[in-house]
Amino acid sequence: MVSKLAESLPQVLSVGTATPPDRYTQEEVLAMFDSPDPRVRGFYLNGHIRTRHLVLPDPVDGKREPESQEALIDKHRTWSVRLGREAIARCLDPLGLTTADVDYLACVTTTGYLCPGVSAYLVRDLGFREDVHRIDVVGMGCNAGLNTLQPTAAFCATNPGKLALMLCVEVCSAAYVNDGTLRSAIVNSLFGDGAAAVALKTGSWVTPKGKRHGPRILGFESHTISDALMAMRFDLYEGKLSFFLDRDIPYVIGSHVEKPIARLLKKFGLKRRQIAHWVVHSGGRKVIDSVKYNIGLTDHDVRHTLTVLRDYGNVSSGSFLFSLERLLEERVTRPGDFGVLMAMGPGVAIETALVQW
Amino acid sequence: MTKELGEDMLTLNKLSYEEQDNVATLRLGAPVDVAVIRDLQAVCEYLEDESSCDILVLRGTEERFCGEIDMKAFDPGKPLDIHGFHKWEKALTWIERLPKLTIAAIRGRCVGAGLHLALVCDQRVATPDATFWLDEVSRGFLPGMSTFRVAKYVGLGRAKSLVLAGRQLDAATAEQWGLVDQVAAPTELEAAIDALVRAWTPENAIALELARRLLNESYGIQYEEFIGNFLAAQHRAITSERFLELLKKAHSE
Repeated sequence: MVSKLAESLPQVLSVGTATPPDRYTQEEVLAMFDSPDPRVRGFYLNGHIRTRHLVLPDPVDGKREPESQEALIDKHRTWSVRLGREAIARCLDPLGLTTADVDYLACVTTTGYLCPGVSAYLVRDLGFREDVHRIDVVGMGCNAGLNTLQPTAAFCATNPGKLALMLCVEVCSAAYVNDGTLRSAIVNSLFGDGAAAVALKTGSWVTPKGKRHGPRILGFESHTISDALMAMRFDLYEGKLSFFLDRDIPYVIGSHVEKPIARLLKKFGLKRRQIAHWVVHSGGRKVIDSVKYNIGLTDHDVRHTLTVLRDYGNVSSGSFLFSLERLLEERVTRPGDFGVLMAMGPGVAIETALVQW
Repeated sequence: MTKELGEDMLTLNKLSYEEQDNVATLRLGAPVDVAVIRDLQAVCEYLEDESSCDILVLRGTEERFCGEIDMKAFDPGKPLDIHGFHKWEKALTWIERLPKLTIAAIRGRCVGAGLHLALVCDQRVATPDATFWLDEVSRGFLPGMSTFRVAKYVGLGRAKSLVLAGRQLDAATAEQWGLVDQVAAPTELEAAIDALVRAWTPENAIALELARRLLNESYGIQYEEFIGNFLAAQHRAITSERFLELLKKAHSE
């Protein structure tokens, strides 16, 4: 029996992910960007990442030509729709649902600017109904998936039984700048392409085929570190958007992460040890270390965070959903278990959510 | 001032617990069974959530540090499962990670479960009559996650002597091997523990927890991975309020 209260909370029904078909090792990407600098080598090879899925143009005469800004925007549009289609199918198929069943569609991206937004392309191409509610969240960065989960969950709570779908789609290779600078090398060594879709609805428990059912969403807690506003940002550099990551940012996040976690747990009268599952954004090795040592998480707690980073790099807004998908497939969650979802990004933002199975 | 804890604060079935100033004392002795494991969990929970003590001293009786695993707790008529062992290990890990300095004050037999408990403490002080023995293999089962911990104290060869050959150590040998940190005559034991308690300062609470974690993780990890852990931990230590107060104090002197 599920209580009426539990039924009124939005449940994560299913998660589906997708990546472009071409997978590159760190050594391969390093060779393409042709950086003899040992520091650049270090960024690529010492960061826990083994492979990433990327959309890169074929080399001409063995050389990889820089892509124009037009080509990058075009790549973002084309692959957002392609990856979105796959991730949404993998999310809805195990539920026996289609895009025509979706009442609310939220699309999240930071790696390209489109007007009309990604959601409009998806409605045209994927068979969504003409009356589907849409929202596009653009430019919020790696934390944006959790920021957008909040209105998506709120839609479900105020529209009982209606189906909401959130898609995080990032074509990070459309935000690569091949300018030989160290700041670009850091970005180019870290981010990967990927999309993740999650379906939410209130009502009695739903378990997709072959998976453990997803958790219900209990609440959110945000934290913005305004002192570090410029620590992660897009700059316009030689006519292209070029991402910048301050080297201290993993530690800045580490020294603030206790605050939103403490507020979130206090709100629900929980202790940290009562959290059975931690689903943390795979931001990079240093920020994961920093989170581990500041809130006392073990490598086991962040096992999916680490393997998602190893296999895909930082896929930005959808990254925590890649980890959640692995947790659901692992089938270790038990009814009543609490979990915390956490994502960090520009702002500087630390976004958290409490969930319960 | 000794504070006897009322039932509303902490209810234990087999063990006893008291606090004096900043030192909590947990008295072991009973054979380890489900009730003892529950008591250990309750004590850890109390220490984390309620207690203002900085230090936990684990003590046994004059005869033994802690009872062994109670063989009568197993029913030969029922299929045995592993869950009780898992609960025991979780309780040990909880003690190992407490945000307190933990000291084992060992007298008499420190066998099996007793040694498992001693190994998760930060410091081990023993009287000369203490004996150390992992007897599980000779009884047909395994000495828990002491298989994971003991070689880190004594090295693999000596660990094999202890675990496989079931070698029993007296306190002097245990000290020489690094299994205990200090041997003190029964009349000197309290003074030795007092010295450890006095050496503790509130400034090192966070540093103690982080340094202990790094030490425990220092086996079986690559340097490249470990340095990331160290930098994250060090950043947490140097940005703590207590460290900043120390810095200000150093500048004003």
